[in-house]
Amino acid sequence: MNTSTENIKVVDHKINYNNLVFYVIDTTNSILNIDHTMGYDALILDASDPEYARIVLKKIRSHYNPEFYLKPVFLLNFKETKDPLLNNMHDGLMTSYDQVVTMSETAKRIFLKTTQLDNQLIPSFEGQTVKKVLNYMYTRDIRTLKPIVDLNSSIGYTYPELSINFTNTEEPQVLEILEWADREGLIWPDFYERVYLCNNCNSGALSYREVCPHCNSSNSKSEDLVHHFPCAYIGPISDFQNNIDNSLNCPKCNKTLRHIGIDYDKPSVIHHCNNCDQNYQDAFIKSKCLSCEDDIDVKYLVPRTVNIYKLTRKGRSAATSGFLSSSQEVDDIFGTINMQTLKIMLHYELEKVKESPAQKTSIALVHLENVFELYNKIGKKGERKLLEELVAVVRENIKSSDVIAFESSSTLYLMLTNTASENAEQKLKNLSALTENLIKKNFNGFKANLLHKVKMLDTDKKAEVQLQELSKDFFA
Amino acid sequence: MDYLDEFFNYISSVSPAKLVRVFWFFFFFEFVRFFLVDFTTVLLWKLTAVFRKQRVREGRNLFWAEKPLISIIVPGKNEGKHIFKLANSLKEQTYQNFELIVIDDGSDDETRTICNSLKKNGLIDIFLSNDVRGGKASAANLGLRYSSGKYIIHMDADCSYDRDAVENIIVPFYYDEKLGAVGGDVQVRNYRESLCASLQAIEYTDTISIGRISQSQLGIYRIISGAFGAFKKDALDSVGGWDIGPGLDGDITVKVRKMGYEIHFEPTAICQTNVPVTFKALIKQRLRWDKSLIRFRLRKHRDVFYPNESFRISNFVSFVENITYSLVLNFKWYFYLIDMVLNFTSRLIFIIPMNFILYTINNYFKFIVFSLFRQRKNVKAEYFMLYMPLMALYFGYFLRLVRTYAYLQELIFRRSYEDSWNPEKSSRQAKSLKL
Repeated sequence: MNTSTENIKVVDHKINYNNLVFYVIDTTNSILNIDHTMGYDALILDASDPEYARIVLKKIRSHYNPEFYLKPVFLLNFKETKDPLLNNMHDGLMTSYDQVVTMSETAKRIFLKTTQLDNQLIPSFEGQTVKKVLNYMYTRDIRTLKPIVDLNSSIGYTYPELSINFTNTEEPQVLEILEWADREGLIWPDFYERVYLCNNCNSGALSYREVCPHCNSSNSKSEDLVHHFPCAYIGPISDFQNNIDNSLNCPKCNKTLRHIGIDYDKPSVIHHCNNCDQNYQDAFIKSKCLSCEDDIDVKYLVPRTVNIYKLTRKGRSAATSGFLSSSQEVDDIFGTINMQTLKIMLHYELEKVKESPAQKTSIALVHLENVFELYNKIGKKGERKLLEELVAVVRENIKSSDVIAFESSSTLYLMLTNTASENAEQKLKNLSALTENLIKKNFNGFKANLLHKVKMLDTDKKAEVQLQELSKDFFA
Repeated sequence: MDYLDEFFNYISSVSPAKLVRVFWFFFFFEFVRFFLVDFTTVLLWKLTAVFRKQRVREGRNLFWAEKPLISIIVPGKNEGKHIFKLANSLKEQTYQNFELIVIDDGSDDETRTICNSLKKNGLIDIFLSNDVRGGKASAANLGLRYSSGKYIIHMDADCSYDRDAVENIIVPFYYDEKLGAVGGDVQVRNYRESLCASLQAIEYTDTISIGRISQSQLGIYRIISGAFGAFKKDALDSVGGWDIGPGLDGDITVKVRKMGYEIHFEPTAICQTNVPVTFKALIKQRLRWDKSLIRFRLRKHRDVFYPNESFRISNFVSFVENITYSLVLNFKWYFYLIDMVLNFTSRLIFIIPMNFILYTINNYFKFIVFSLFRQRKNVKAEYFMLYMPLMALYFGYFLRLVRTYAYLQELIFRRSYEDSWNPEKSSRQAKSLKL
């Protein structure tokens, strides 16, 4: 066992210490591929170039595989930065390789915690993303998701542990996922700040300005109104100014204004629009979205609450025990029934099959394996549209007596009545091919992996048990 | 019964010479000025209407051919509750090429919210608001500063207007180039609300409306009511708009007259307003009005009496008539009273009721005769018949006492500068500069 600091040497990007192999990533490594870090116990990332370090760290932490995203990462030569990801998503800072000694303890602690994690796959995009974050938080003893001001984030705030899985422009999705986790009882919100987002593109990069209520131009000149008490003249201050000196002279009575509050005052302000020549006092406040350039009346901005989230008891145990997520979002898609109804219908179907053994009914599960990658890009609305189209395709290819139920946005069950498993298998194969084509065609060539499993309904087992057996291979 | 016998005996025994001796104040001053002169001029005005008809028609055609932009200025404090009604009533006008400018003079109610909403909905064209109250004159001047119309109409927010009022008040400018301002006819809308309002309605119908026709004909019309007055924008600009009130209606009219413009009263341009319904409120209003006679006629614009280059005989006569009948005769009436007390002490018990009867007969007669000349009545004449006997008390005692009190207050103490109608900061300046 090598525990002496004298022997700490970097050989071919590797450091062996205390039975751990640290892999050193510096600018000589390609940032495009991090797969070669597979198998190493921890990573030392040279952060002399923060931009480089950021890209690599993001690639590691946003990876779908826990082997990558949970890997201990230590930053070497870290310089102070405002980047929330670099500041928060490392496991320690190093100034020399000698510090591997202390870092190895941290890495071991993380390993130990990693072994305690539950590996259950949550069958929804939100569920998977949240589980990933919970895993990370558990292994790093983090109990709070705190928003951090981030100028690069489209909403102005970022939750590093979660946001790292998204691009800057996808930050509004982070809020949606947090709201989902809140509804699932995994986290508990505590108000932190309110942000207003563009109603077109969800960006928080807004430029607020006063505009003319007549033409919406911000090209205006503001002036004080001046009231000269003795003669009751009132007008913009420019009426009182002259080109000779700084004195103010009343245009009506030619007297020089002496003392505010005594012989004159400024009761109001008036704006003159240089675009349409109108005068106004109550300017409209409009916000220009710096992202999509929409000019929005502030009352139409979308208010969103940015909360500090603390893990609930359920949230704290979710990393090690897993959690069951609901599928409310997909329950009401036209042409489908919810899981509860499916279970009841299966129960009756079982009774029917028992009475007529010749009748064969199959159940099937379809899982869109990598669809979350796509959901990330198309957002919640796109996800909904995709699922509706998917149901339409499936419906066209099954009998009207067959039923479809979503368990999550990536998993659906089918009950195929009067269909033997061989026929059902064939049907599912065709459906998978059709669906993959549909997604490829509609989503810029995205290659979806559709997995399916078919099973004949067994009259000796309960409906719930049979559904569990069906999903076991995918999510166990 | 003995008293009545004696009373009738006294009346029947009074010779015409003695009647004139006893009621000299009535015969020499009030009857002559407020009946004979008014009646003669109004009669002449009526008789010559046929000659004006063509001129008016041509003026109206010219007006419609030009369709000038008119700026309607409505200044006021806490008038938000009236503005919606006013803006809606203006939508009914036969002439629509106007911009409605509402000036909020430091309101502390919902005026700003209401007006902004009306502006958003297109019922107001320009809405400007001062956070600090500056007085009605400054509010009107702010409206004037941002107006674009060739003609300016000053309105009060709590008034309503006949459908053709805007058209009718502007048309005179098109048949008489010399006109600088035109006043509209103000009638009482809430005349049924109280006895006080009913008496004022008679006053407005009789003395004010008819009186103004007469004054206009004689060229001595001197107060364009703030409730409804139209001005040439050039004329207003040349006099610098309104000066500090109270009494700014009369003041602006005099200023325009002094610039050489003629002033006209247009009885077909009709506006209805609410008058004070309690005597307390009426006293407050009249004290303010009456004080302005001293402040503006006798002090601020006393140069009208000087034979300088801007001297105009019509202005001189207008002032002399105004001061004579309002101020001099007001005090002279007390001499009349003393004369009666000293010289007819034993007959006072007959003279006072007889005086009352004389005035009442005169009032009935005047009302009926003048009814023939009224352009449009908002109340049937019969309604007022019952109240007519009270007019002798209203005019002869109530208004006279209020007027006397106001004159003395202003002559001795310059109380108009302390009137809360104006903000104290403006009044202080006006007083120190003797404006």
